[in-house]
Amino acid sequence: MVSFPFKTVKAQCNSSLVTVCSAKLSKDATYLKELRARLKAQKSGQQKPVARFSLLLNKGNHYRFNICNAEEFDSKVVLQLYERNKLLGTSYFAKTGKHYPFFDFICPKTGVYKVLMSFEGGKEGCAVGILSLIKK
Amino acid sequence: MIYRLFIALFITSIMLVGCGTNSTEPQEEEQLDIDSFAETLAEDSFDIELDKEAIGEIIQNISSPVEMSALLKGEGIEFNYKFLSSTDNVDEFNTSFKQALNLGVLGADMGYLNMYNKTGAVLNYITAIKELSDELKVGQFFNFETLKRLATNSENIDSLMYMSISAFDKMDSYLRENNRSNISALLVTGVWVEGVYLASQVVKENDNQAIRERVAEQGIVMEQLLLVLDHYKKDKQFFSLISELEKVNSTLSEVKIIEEEGEMEMMEVDGVLMAVSNTKVSIEMSDELLERIISDIENLRAFVINY
Repeated sequence: MVSFPFKTVKAQCNSSLVTVCSAKLSKDATYLKELRARLKAQKSGQQKPVARFSLLLNKGNHYRFNICNAEEFDSKVVLQLYERNKLLGTSYFAKTGKHYPFFDFICPKTGVYKVLMSFEGGKEGCAVGILSLIKK
Repeated sequence: MIYRLFIALFITSIMLVGCGTNSTEPQEEEQLDIDSFAETLAEDSFDIELDKEAIGEIIQNISSPVEMSALLKGEGIEFNYKFLSSTDNVDEFNTSFKQALNLGVLGADMGYLNMYNKTGAVLNYITAIKELSDELKVGQFFNFETLKRLATNSENIDSLMYMSISAFDKMDSYLRENNRSNISALLVTGVWVEGVYLASQVVKENDNQAIRERVAEQGIVMEQLLLVLDHYKKDKQFFSLISELEKVNSTLSEVKIIEEEGEMEMMEVDGVLMAVSNTKVSIEMSDELLERIISDIENLRAFVINY
């Protein structure tokens, strides 16, 4: 089993973060969409801020969700993929206790999916997710 | 890596605001256990209803001009010029309605050309796209000189594709943010129509199960598209377009999609974290039904590209 650390992206919370994150796509990945999350810290007694996105994904396609955090925050983003209320994938894998710079999803059925991005511990943070299509 | 550096410089120069919607959600578990992946979250965890903004996001996603082409190439289908829409008389499109629809069509064609590395032919499409996007006053999102330069060298295909997708994405966002969602809706409709047309023409000539299924399940996409277009049905031209789309939708609704829900699991495969689903989806569609769907799509596409 191979594991890899969560690499620090040297970019601030602006368009350069998308630039750097997109440049990290592997050669076999085709860029599809960017997902941006700029969230304030969770306030006492309030719910954790979450950025939400809707995606239409196609059956049989191999998708990749890359994530990159802005350098000026020490918080780490967690990107979660849902179909309705069912969690399908996440960039934080509790079993290994690690944050991953990307995770892959082979779509079992065409439909509308939901992506949630939030920061560990409800901290303030800035991150981008890049959805790409992995070539067959 | 030069092309990646180039992408970086280009994107930095054109980047606009993102499309996400930030909201406050009920607290979710901080640590998700692998065993819980297949479990359904609490009903009250968040509302998944599609609001207007969410529909906008979906529409933006539908507009991806490369997914269908990626499927065709991935299935080993050969490139075919005859499927493409002509760029010869784009100046004949003299209404915003037709210009927006055909901007989408040509965007999808450019994605098809890019996917097959046909950079030489892309030049004509870049020129036609410039003309239409200028007419619609969204030409500022395309750096045409750079696109043309990239198109002269097939080694730049990744950059070319990235820039094309990104430009369409930003143009679409700009239109929606500036109360021109009707144009945005037409643009993505054009992209979708051309994508499904390409697939239908391929499946007409090739007995390919994956592409056949992709065509068959377009009712799912159509449902989202009609939701958006319905906002503009009072406009006579939109009404005509919706009527054409509904003919296709009616035929697509005869397709039976059977789902057998399975467990989800996450695992590391060769160092890559994978979300794997055991859900099975099968599609029941007779050859006769497929022929009718293809015929309806051809009629729809003719409606879109005719002057």
